[in-house]
Amino acid sequence: MTPCETKAKSKHPSYGKVFLMFARNSLVRDMMFRANFLIESVSSVCWAIMNVGLYWIIFEHTTSIGRDTGWGKYEFFVFMGTTWIINSLMQTFFMPNSEEFSELIRTGGLDFAMLKPIDTQFLISLRKVSWSSLSNLLFGILLMVISLAHLMTRAENPWHFQPSIVVLYPLYIACGVAILYSLMICLAATSVWLGRNQTLYDFWFYITNFSRYPMEIYARGWGLPLLFVFTFVIPVLVVVNVPARLLAQPLTPRASWEWPLAGFTLLATVSSLNVSRWVFQKALRSYRSASS
Amino acid sequence: MYGLSLEAVRELIGHYNSIAMAIIEIEKLSKSYRVYQKQEGLLAAVRGLWHREYRDVEAVRTVDLKVEQGEFVAFLGPNGAGKTTTLKLLSGVIYPTSGTARVMGHVPWLRDNDYRRRFALVMGQKNQLWWDLPAQESFRLHERIYQIDKKEFTRSLNELSDLLQVQKLLGRPVRELSLGERMKMELIAALLHSPEVLFLDEPTIGLDVVAQHNIQQFLRYYQQQRKTTILLTSHYMKDIAALCQRVVVITDGAIKFDGSLSGIIDSFSGSKILKLQLSDGQSAEGLERFAEVTSVVLPKVALRCARAEVPKMLAAILQHYQVDDVAVEDPPLEDVIADLYQKSN
Amino acid sequence: MFALSLTNRVACWWMIFRIALEERLAYRGDFALGTLMRFLPIITQVFLWTAVFEAVGSGSSTARLAGYSLDDMIAYYLLSMLARAFSSMPGLASTIAKQIREGEVKKYIVQPIDLIGFMLLGRAAHKIAYYTVATLPFALVFYLCRGYFASGWPSSEILIAFVLSCVLGFLLGFFMDLCIGLVGFWFLEVSSLLFIYMLLNFFLSGHMFPLDLLSEPWKTIVDWLPFKYMAYFPAAIFLGKIPAEQLWWQVGTEALWLLGLIGLSRVLYSRGLKRYSGYGG
Repeated sequence: MTPCETKAKSKHPSYGKVFLMFARNSLVRDMMFRANFLIESVSSVCWAIMNVGLYWIIFEHTTSIGRDTGWGKYEFFVFMGTTWIINSLMQTFFMPNSEEFSELIRTGGLDFAMLKPIDTQFLISLRKVSWSSLSNLLFGILLMVISLAHLMTRAENPWHFQPSIVVLYPLYIACGVAILYSLMICLAATSVWLGRNQTLYDFWFYITNFSRYPMEIYARGWGLPLLFVFTFVIPVLVVVNVPARLLAQPLTPRASWEWPLAGFTLLATVSSLNVSRWVFQKALRSYRSASS
Repeated sequence: MYGLSLEAVRELIGHYNSIAMAIIEIEKLSKSYRVYQKQEGLLAAVRGLWHREYRDVEAVRTVDLKVEQGEFVAFLGPNGAGKTTTLKLLSGVIYPTSGTARVMGHVPWLRDNDYRRRFALVMGQKNQLWWDLPAQESFRLHERIYQIDKKEFTRSLNELSDLLQVQKLLGRPVRELSLGERMKMELIAALLHSPEVLFLDEPTIGLDVVAQHNIQQFLRYYQQQRKTTILLTSHYMKDIAALCQRVVVITDGAIKFDGSLSGIIDSFSGSKILKLQLSDGQSAEGLERFAEVTSVVLPKVALRCARAEVPKMLAAILQHYQVDDVAVEDPPLEDVIADLYQKSN
Repeated sequence: MFALSLTNRVACWWMIFRIALEERLAYRGDFALGTLMRFLPIITQVFLWTAVFEAVGSGSSTARLAGYSLDDMIAYYLLSMLARAFSSMPGLASTIAKQIREGEVKKYIVQPIDLIGFMLLGRAAHKIAYYTVATLPFALVFYLCRGYFASGWPSSEILIAFVLSCVLGFLLGFFMDLCIGLVGFWFLEVSSLLFIYMLLNFFLSGHMFPLDLLSEPWKTIVDWLPFKYMAYFPAAIFLGKIPAEQLWWQVGTEALWLLGLIGLSRVLYSRGLKRYSGYGG
């Protein structure tokens, strides 16, 4: 082929179109196993309901989590709703892929991903979409709406709708997902060095476990170093806390540390994504490709 | 006098460059791995928790190779000789320990999108198609990822599925296809973007004779039509004999031979096979005095002897036996290669 | 003659046990990480419950929640984790179901090995391999958290009952998972059943919270189910939450559950095999 024959192809394929293709193919696949799809949706909602059940039981015995933190029953359920929304987004778009990433490393299937003229991290991270996990998104939204309705109608200090939340809440949800994604892809990439990595999921669960509670509970004694580490080193604490707080707590009065924290979250998102990119590239370099 | 225009000069230079630079150039390429040495026994397994012993394995050592545009080259060698590792290095899947390689002017392990659009790798033991979906869905994904022109895509897909006779299977989930059918789909997936260089790693492994033959025929036809540069590894001598003009023998990570298939026999086999047809009533007794007897099916006898000894041996045998017919042949290729593999171990 | 065959059998069991143990120890990275991670949730539990108790008792250290002080609550989580380390059987049911589905179970028909015995030994080996590595971190965590065990070491009777209930918990957990896996002889896909079981187990075993927090009638219902022996029961014994006169009664009930499940698994296995070979595999 002479140079003039080569048509001017743009260096990168259209990522949007490729992603739509992934989403479509995944849906076709999910619909092939409809019963499975249904079971997965139902069971993940059951799991969510059980979690709400636990806190329902706890709130039978108490009125709030921590003294004067403002996390009463329904505020906390808004917090939980946010947790479920973020988690379900993770499970829908990234979880099946990073699980498979470890598997691709183990079996050598990563070879094919590396051959494609498209960003390998993009390909690996979004190849499959687990549509059934969106059921939890619906559950999270439902829980949030019901709780907000309760907060709105309560006699004392009712919740008011702030227009800015329409922009801020989704923005910080996206930040949260991006931070968790970065952590997850870093964990998955460790399979390159550690070999079989069954504990990946456990580790993921345990780390994100910290993010499932209002950060005030760590603000004492030996919780402070934890608060520091999980805010500034592995920023999982801001993932749910920042959007949930924006939504559930009244805009005024705001504690002095809240707006800086919101600003920090943006910074943390950008740096997490960069770190994940770096780790991913490192992992690809160390990949030795299981021979057949 | 000819007045050369600037364009003509450019074209000439471009032409010259394409001749001067081989499409694949490898220099002193090496790749070594560190592997964990598993110890036998329970105690050792417990000890392994804290302390591990590693060993360096050189999969490829200082390989030099040049391949010209349009060549069909076979890599031959025992398991673990470094054939697949070389292909993976050339595909940019793994990084070399040292050395350089250029394929169409690109350094493979930089994994440039432009490079990745110009070649393909097919591995007989792995599959890249979505397992639960019909192959055509995976193909469409390729169309997007490789930015294949819509018309070009339809044309290629029709042509390839025609040639491989799989038009009717395009809509069936990949998991329901036979191994041979799946391999054909893998080939289509790899060829849709019309790669200029194609790496085939044991494309016929595990296939039955008919499927093997189909794929050979297809590859030969495709290569003749497109003049694609192809590197192939295979354990089936038939694949290689049918397809490749040039064979590169790799053992222990290094190139031991580079030339034509028949050249292997000249360089590695010091012996010839003497086939005698003895006259009626002659017995084969005593022939072992002259050379190693490999088979006796009277009246036919086969002997193996060193290449240099052939004339002497023949003369001696003809003196003592009545022989109707004589043929001097090369030993079968498979035997030579089996010897070669064994020596390397 | 009998003695010989017995030593043979023991040698065979020992072999199976050793292979499982070696296999387990081969994946070092996995192991170290896994053990370390297990303790992370405890930390969040400590903070969560501290916050909850703070709100309940307005900061007084004598605040109680369903009879639990803050110290009791943390001690409960530590002990229930220990109990779960015995009774949880990750991947057992799905492995068995997979072996049935993919015909691997034939090997137990052809070879003179008993599937249930083989699996039990394998699990025991896995658990022991786990403890050889996990004892140290477990001991460390319990040492660091000794302050939460306000009333010190319990009496030797309670200790014996505690150890016994842990061991019974291991067996109970094993046979429950086994039975679910064996259902695979009838339904090829057991994953949904397994999920429901895991969900119930997680919630009703007391892994998430002390079952005493439940209000009636749930408390009584849960009391009659076998799940509580997997986490709640050993922890409650240790903390003296089981009245002395009921202690051995309840251990007895647990043993009965175990016998019932052993019987059930035997029936499922033999019927299942019959059904399997009836279909010609």
